[in-house]
Amino acid sequence: MRNTNTKAGFLLRSALRRDWLKITLWLIGLAGLMAGAAAKFDTLYGTPKTMATIVETLKTPAMVSLLGPFTASKPYTVANVYAAEMMVFMGLFVAMMNIYFAVHATRAEEDSGVAELIRAHAVGRSASLSAAVLELIVINLGAGVLEALGLQASGMSGTDIAGNWLFGLGLAAFGLMFGAFTLLAAQIAESGRGATIISYSWLGLLFIARMGTDIQDPDLTWWTIYGWIEKLEIYDGNNWAPVGLMLALTALVGGVALWLGTTRDLGAGLLPQRNGRRTASAFLRGPLALVARLERTSTIIWLVSLFILGATYGSIFGTAGDLMASNPTMAKLIGTTGLRLANRAIVLSFANKLAIIFVILATIPGLITLFRLNRDERHGYFEQLHARSVSRARLYFSVAGFGLVCAIIAFALAVLGMTAAGAASMGADMPSLARFMRAFWGYAPALIATFGVAALLVGLLPKWQNLAWALPAYGFFSLYLGSLMDFPKWAQQLTPYGWVNNVPLRQVQWGPAAWMTALGLALLIAGYLAYARRDLLEN
Amino acid sequence: MTQPVVVIDQLQKNFGSFKALKDITLTVNPGEVFGFIGPNGAGKSTTIRTLLGILQKSGGRATIFGQDVWTDAVAIHKRLAYVPGDVYLWPNLSGGEVIDLFLRLNDQAHTARTDALIQKFDLDPRKKARTYSKGNRQKVALIAAFSTDAELYIFDEPTSGLDPLMEEVFQQEVLALKAAGKSVLLSSHILSEVERMCDRIGIIRDGRIIETGTLDDMRQLSRTQVTVTTTLPLASIQSLPAVHHFDAPDAHKATFAVDSEALGSVMSALAPLGITALQSTPPTLEDLFLRYYNQEGGEADAQH
Repeated sequence: MRNTNTKAGFLLRSALRRDWLKITLWLIGLAGLMAGAAAKFDTLYGTPKTMATIVETLKTPAMVSLLGPFTASKPYTVANVYAAEMMVFMGLFVAMMNIYFAVHATRAEEDSGVAELIRAHAVGRSASLSAAVLELIVINLGAGVLEALGLQASGMSGTDIAGNWLFGLGLAAFGLMFGAFTLLAAQIAESGRGATIISYSWLGLLFIARMGTDIQDPDLTWWTIYGWIEKLEIYDGNNWAPVGLMLALTALVGGVALWLGTTRDLGAGLLPQRNGRRTASAFLRGPLALVARLERTSTIIWLVSLFILGATYGSIFGTAGDLMASNPTMAKLIGTTGLRLANRAIVLSFANKLAIIFVILATIPGLITLFRLNRDERHGYFEQLHARSVSRARLYFSVAGFGLVCAIIAFALAVLGMTAAGAASMGADMPSLARFMRAFWGYAPALIATFGVAALLVGLLPKWQNLAWALPAYGFFSLYLGSLMDFPKWAQQLTPYGWVNNVPLRQVQWGPAAWMTALGLALLIAGYLAYARRDLLEN
Repeated sequence: MTQPVVVIDQLQKNFGSFKALKDITLTVNPGEVFGFIGPNGAGKSTTIRTLLGILQKSGGRATIFGQDVWTDAVAIHKRLAYVPGDVYLWPNLSGGEVIDLFLRLNDQAHTARTDALIQKFDLDPRKKARTYSKGNRQKVALIAAFSTDAELYIFDEPTSGLDPLMEEVFQQEVLALKAAGKSVLLSSHILSEVERMCDRIGIIRDGRIIETGTLDDMRQLSRTQVTVTTTLPLASIQSLPAVHHFDAPDAHKATFAVDSEALGSVMSALAPLGITALQSTPPTLEDLFLRYYNQEGGEADAQH
């Protein structure tokens, strides 16, 4: 019997040596976030009054859509609130980590040609893929154990040992499951980029499905796979069954991936490689058209998904903005007119939280396109362009302009999708489109400012351009969870997103909007000046 | 006298404290094919990238068509075509799309000549660049360059991935450009290619141009290999200052190297010895190249 896994252990060790810094940063980030939040929760929800308020908030449809349902039974503990607030959120982070490492360890290696060199040595046919599986197991197990220990150390009231370990190991199993999905996608797709797109589309689909079933009927959430993480009932029922489900599905999907990996050719996907055009379309004339052509597929995916995401959230406005159903006592107290106003206020506040999610998601395609300036440079794709009569200004502003405009359109589409579906679900009580567009006018300048910072990095410090990702990442964290965790104002204002007031509930503050836009555009131009003066990156 | 197309004068380029180019001085004249040879890491590609305005020079002067390569890059690029040694293409574009894009970026169109070149280089333009081998990616860039109507063509080791058949096509196309009066700057490792096509040659080593001139000029500066058989003993020849590496299997036959400019005087010394057979081989470019490169390794006396 020939061994197809020869040297898998050796490859695992070299993979861990290659990735140790990234792994360490991810693990510290995840465990630190969990433990740090846990240590703070007692001071946030320690009193019966604050506890009652947060539980009521968590039970509103808006919060259920964002964080998952609050299912714990009375008497509530701080740990119950913590589990409800953190579970779905941490699941998202862990899934993203696994998609990253799974692509990094498989298709990315094939794309760069390293896999070919390895395969030519005395290693088994599946050794690389097996090493990737083992690496994911090591990473997830490490993260799970650290998270459990972190919870243990936090001393949050209401925790128990079983719950701590279930939280950590449950996240590990959940992450591993998404790692397996990605490994499968890596066999199907024709490149690392394709594998990432498939994996994130799948994650997004499951997340939206989970949101829908949580609002409609939490029992159906069992079918959404993503929802298994809610069914762990941490610090309440401490149900280990979903972990078994996750591991079973992981084994199944991972097994299929391993099997496909031994049957397909290295560097090829299962999706057929179609032929392209014999000649270029009349449209492909300059750098702007080139960027549009290169980003065509992903731009369409981003625009459509953000519109769908907006519409999905908007479709629960009817439920979210129905105080009569969620809090009848209060509803009777304030009367019909008051109720109508209160419903609108709830929806508009909810729309503010959603706008933050939308604007941060919309920033992502913008930055990905912007970073092409250096990424394609390093790949050597732009060398031919520079040797033609294309000025650096034309190239820079074509790429940056396309990215910025797409990001703004994506954000606008999300707001429009939310408004359209909201109108359908709320009927006559629905605030006007102009009201919702306040969210757009308020947050679009923050997007431009963030984009400007990233553009400056592209021009000035090309090797450090990825630092710009800290802005949307931290912005998301500080504003999405920060408000629940009572972050101080300054900590929320570290990113441009935190400088925006509570639109669309409140009026747009045109002053900050104007100077943020001006700042963003000024930084964009500063980035160009730096870009035009430096050596281009060499591959 | 027409103005040279490319003028590089004491060009320098530093990357941090590393001096990649120390002193590059050369000119390319109209209608000439200039061969640029040197080993890996000598600075050939850095010189070319500086010429293209991709890198900014640290010192010296470089102009193409009399315009500065950094400030007037766009104007210059309208009149030149370039093929790098490693061609990388966007994986999701087809070869045909890339060729057309490159042409249009210089305001040129896909012509019958483009199609003829695609045929000649045997490229399937419908394939996505992701599936192309190194040689096929190079063909894409070569087709785009050859079908561009330019005044100056810059090739940076353009044939490193091509098979011998395609290399032949490449040489034909370059000779056609030469016949049409175009200027070509060709950096290459393949010395036979340079020997066949280039009018003048520049040799670069360690960031410096150490020699420029025609192949004949360089031969003048070098040695000719001579094998001779005489009726009288040859011993006296060994002591001549222009004779090196004297190797005599017997008293009447010897093989040695002669400084080319002293060939005449050595011949005069040989004549009275009664030559029965004489074979002289001029140095190949490869000999020249290796000589220049071995200079550091103890053969410092090589020149004169």
